[in-house]
Amino acid sequence: MKESLLTGLAAIVGPRWVRHRRAELATYTMDGLPTHESWPGVVVIPGSRHELIDVMKALHASKTPFVARGAGTGLSGGALAEGNAVLVALTRLNHILSVDPASRRAVVEPGVVNARLSEAVLPYGLQYVPDPSSQTACTIGGNVAENAGGPHCLKAGVTTNHVTDLEIILPDGSLARLGSTHGDAWGPDLVGLFVGSEGMFGIACSITVRLEPIPPAVRTMLADFPGIRAASEAVSAIIASGIVPAALEMMDQSCVQAVEASIYAAGYPTDAAAVLLVELDGQPEGVAAEHAVVEPLLRAHGARHVLTAESAADRARLWQGRKKAFGAMGRIAPDLVVQDAVVPRSALPDVLDRISEIRDRYALHISNVFHAGDGNLHPNISFDRRNLELASRVREASREIMTVCVAAGGSITGEHGVGNDKLDYMPLIFDAETLGAMQATRRVFDPGERANPGKVVPIHACREWCASPAARGNGRQQHGSLAEVAHD
Amino acid sequence: MPGSTDPRFAALDPCVHCGFCLPACPTYLATGDEADSPRGRIVLMRALERGEIGAADPALTQHIDACLGCRGCEPACPSGVGYGQGLEAAREILAERRGIAPAARAILTVFSNRLFWRTLLTAAGWFRATGLPARWASGTRLGFGMGMLASTRRHRVPRSFPGFHMPHSAPTVALFRGCVMDTVFRHVNEATRRVLEANGYRVVDINGQGCCGALHEHAGDRKGAESLARQNVKAFGGRANYIVVNSAGCGALLKQYGHLLGTRDGEHFGSRVRDVSELLAAKGPRQGGPLPLDVVYDAPCHLQHAQKVQAEPLAVLNAIPGLRLRLLPGSDKCCGSAGIYSTLHPDMARAVLDDKIRGIAAASPAPRVVTTGNPGCHMHIGAGLRAAGLHATVLHPVELLDESYRVGGLYSRQQ
Repeated sequence: MKESLLTGLAAIVGPRWVRHRRAELATYTMDGLPTHESWPGVVVIPGSRHELIDVMKALHASKTPFVARGAGTGLSGGALAEGNAVLVALTRLNHILSVDPASRRAVVEPGVVNARLSEAVLPYGLQYVPDPSSQTACTIGGNVAENAGGPHCLKAGVTTNHVTDLEIILPDGSLARLGSTHGDAWGPDLVGLFVGSEGMFGIACSITVRLEPIPPAVRTMLADFPGIRAASEAVSAIIASGIVPAALEMMDQSCVQAVEASIYAAGYPTDAAAVLLVELDGQPEGVAAEHAVVEPLLRAHGARHVLTAESAADRARLWQGRKKAFGAMGRIAPDLVVQDAVVPRSALPDVLDRISEIRDRYALHISNVFHAGDGNLHPNISFDRRNLELASRVREASREIMTVCVAAGGSITGEHGVGNDKLDYMPLIFDAETLGAMQATRRVFDPGERANPGKVVPIHACREWCASPAARGNGRQQHGSLAEVAHD
Repeated sequence: MPGSTDPRFAALDPCVHCGFCLPACPTYLATGDEADSPRGRIVLMRALERGEIGAADPALTQHIDACLGCRGCEPACPSGVGYGQGLEAAREILAERRGIAPAARAILTVFSNRLFWRTLLTAAGWFRATGLPARWASGTRLGFGMGMLASTRRHRVPRSFPGFHMPHSAPTVALFRGCVMDTVFRHVNEATRRVLEANGYRVVDINGQGCCGALHEHAGDRKGAESLARQNVKAFGGRANYIVVNSAGCGALLKQYGHLLGTRDGEHFGSRVRDVSELLAAKGPRQGGPLPLDVVYDAPCHLQHAQKVQAEPLAVLNAIPGLRLRLLPGSDKCCGSAGIYSTLHPDMARAVLDDKIRGIAAASPAPRVVTTGNPGCHMHIGAGLRAAGLHATVLHPVELLDESYRVGGLYSRQQ
């Protein structure tokens, strides 16, 4: 790291907020996915929008690559920086700038923690709907970068459906506004393009989100099944009935046992092969009518018990268990690989059978916890990395699971993003031309390719993109800068 | 990442780096810096244990030292990571290899010797009586110290009462008088004795007791802590059914004397220790007269996390008719006091406290009393309130119950 850049950054944010000593960098070598580690060149923690803009200008002037980071709870290695890249931590930009209850909008800085926003608007009877399982810790800025989902995104849609407009800082330090707070913005959906761009287009410094009224009636059902296949068939049956629940989540036995051993024990039956959480919300009459359809469906597909929680405290307990399930995996083994694939709902029973078969063949411990309603699977493979042979089996099995999901008509990520974890899977679903188009789009925002380098689009296919029609034009020149980044 | 042989470091193994501990950590909330978070510190502790980063590395020690040790992260962890055990092991390594910082050493020396702390704290009590600390209390570093001292003052003097007649069958309790509690908070000790007697406990006096050793233990001075523990175990012997303590920080260590000393006597001592709220809650407690006050409760970390005593202080407060008790958001978070932490790391301690003070300032209706059962929290929050110009007073829950008993006339007639 150049001394002049360090001095320059310290002059902007204050020396206290520039981290460059080895021990401090060590704490930033991972995000929520500890199987990937990489050392940033320096970490800078700006304390205001103004400081952030100046930091971005300084990085542009010195042609330094950078990575934006929120709370570091992401699960695809997206918020890791390496080589000379500067990690820009946005945790101090954590102010809710305004709340407009009448128009149901809030404007927030990127470091605002997801759950804090819902707490802040609760007095108005409003909520921010997207609720990733890490919502008590993760930031809205990170949610925007990854287009985060969550249990309640089944009916209400994911992050992109809840962001109306953005003020972004482009990698050259200039500002741009995307979208429109009210009504639809003119022209192409640039907010839709930015949300989910995994930090490769710039940094959102002010985010306007939609708030929704808290539904007048909510019922959460807990159904337990003697078999995973029966549970997944129940999921398909509910969706086929025409009802879209607010949330429809599944956990298998291994997952339930880890949760029930934890401080977040929710009272899930530990002897069931799988449990489903089904939440219905809306007007009381509608909820009652849907409940009258869903409960018999669950029983018809073999549910042993169906419990309905109606008090807010009981519902919260059921959801806490589900949302902290990932964090409870440390009870099984010290290391963890989390997969995140999407399959068509109709393929769920077969795909789950295949995953069980892969688990047995590789003799692995897999816990399934996932958003069953939209077919978003999260097989968690627990292992101990000190066992090298086991670690290699885990890698093989992971790849095989992903191949099965893609073959079933699925996709390689539901909500965790590609980051650096899924780079290798990109060619499974995108051809060279499409990858080239992605790279060309990125260059519109970031011609120098300094924002979150080395993520999402695999570099080794670089030559192919340059040859692709979409990337032709300035491709050759950009190839040079890519190589620079890669070898820095 | 796994790899430890020391069982205390191995308690960190279940960490899968999910980050659910971040919002539970007062220092992370104050700085937003991963290096000041439980998850970041676990990375540092593991690197220290493996020798990848040395005990002399100032960047490592800065962030391990900046941990309050409140253990608020433990109940947030789905995997049950033993953060406190890892921290204890890491701090022992640091104390061994680089020694204890001179400022900390000086404070610990004072508390190791009864003559030293009694002289110093008694003088502090006299100084408080001049009224100058209250007048000089402010937000500056010196003014904050003045505010801490000023907030220890007694707020109402109960009339002397003839005492309760105790049947011989009444359970006996020995009051652990402590050091700070026995000097600048002597009135809280007196209130503790009165409310225990009102609830049917016979309080006996034990001479020869000293400081509990918690400050030493937290700073990694295990020898100092052991020596004080042995002195206390000897002084209390087998007398009394219970050893009652009204300081959460002391209680947490007193309960652990068996673990600290590894002796049967230590075990016997620890098993009899109760926080005063535990003994009172076990008796109801008895109801007193009305205190129509807006009160917020702030849970000391060493009570709620280290001792897992959560409901009992609320039961004590709820026994006071008319008291309008509230828990503010963040009332379960550390205030930043953490033993001698606030003296060694004043900036971080204040940054952590600021959040709490803002919450109290924003509460409506404005609380008249903030109540908490630990002298460090009492003084730290008290000074913060003064620095912010708020008029709320800090009181120990026992002081409120005592006042309720006085108002209710429990002390004015022979019982």
